[in-house]
Amino acid sequence: MNKLETSADDINEHDLVERLKKKQPWAFNALVNQYQNRLLKIAYGITLDREDSLEVVQDVFISVFKNIHTFRQDASLATWLRKITINQCLNWKRRWKRRFKWNHKSIESVDDSTLFKADNNTNDPEMLYREKQFEKNLMEAIGKLPEKIRLVLVLSVFEGLTYNDIAKALNIKKGTVSSRLHFARKNLFDSLKTNDTRDN
Amino acid sequence: MTKKSKCHSSENISRFVDKELDHDFYNEVAQHLDHCPDCRKISEAYKTLSDVFTDHAHTQISKIDPGILKQKLVSPLEHIEKKSMGNFFGIFSKNIYLKLASITAILMISLYTLQGYYPKGPSAIVKSVDTDFASVMIIETQKEKHTIIWFSET
Repeated sequence: MNKLETSADDINEHDLVERLKKKQPWAFNALVNQYQNRLLKIAYGITLDREDSLEVVQDVFISVFKNIHTFRQDASLATWLRKITINQCLNWKRRWKRRFKWNHKSIESVDDSTLFKADNNTNDPEMLYREKQFEKNLMEAIGKLPEKIRLVLVLSVFEGLTYNDIAKALNIKKGTVSSRLHFARKNLFDSLKTNDTRDN
Repeated sequence: MTKKSKCHSSENISRFVDKELDHDFYNEVAQHLDHCPDCRKISEAYKTLSDVFTDHAHTQISKIDPGILKQKLVSPLEHIEKKSMGNFFGIFSKNIYLKLASITAILMISLYTLQGYYPKGPSAIVKSVDTDFASVMIIETQKEKHTIIWFSET
């Protein structure tokens, strides 16, 4: 089989990195295919903006292309990519624009009283509307969380990392991970309850 | 009726949701949640927050055309590649003729200077004829006694 015809499944991570170091276009294509959604999700969790997360991930792949020769494979490729994505998000210059956007409060009222119940699968239009409102309020509340808190939440919820792995990735203590996650959840829970009380 | 155990802190419930409690303590909290609606409500709410956040991000990302990122990457990557090629072969990238001419001139001057192969002038003009429309000179070289005929239209 021709090198260019090799599929992503036929190649292990080590080979992929070696091919990337040789600047093979196929390898770069495979890398983008394999990781773009995962990195977009992380970036979206931090930036909370679709277009901006796209730009961040674009910069991540460009950075990988430029610096792949420095990757020594001490950690997995996914860990390295995640680290670059986090750094790109945190260094992202236009974050102030996003903060302004997310600090803007909606004038629409919302009733979240029933939305914490486990089973919300329904076709009831009113319930669907409430779910949408709940999601909107939740995202606004997430947007107001400090970036370092949201970052821990994203790594736990989206990447499913353990407290130890998050601590290593962000160079913080395991206890700090636990308290930041608790702060995030309690804060979100309380702000959604406040909305609930206000609207009722 | 089972006696209700003491409620757990919301931080422990958060760690329970993440399965970050010791095995025994995890089971203790799990048993407590079975009988305590207040703590169960917090636990379910914490799970719902994660689920809704994940679904929201997933929906937003799925709206992005998978090909758009590749399209956006084509131009910057080509630019980087060209730049790196330029660094490798920078000597040939611009004004190639000027550079080649300079190198040749330097080599020739060095060669002549080091080995004494500088051109020596003719020893004498043997014969010179000038007319209205042409000039002719017959020259003989110094050592080898070669004859050179030089002709020029006027």
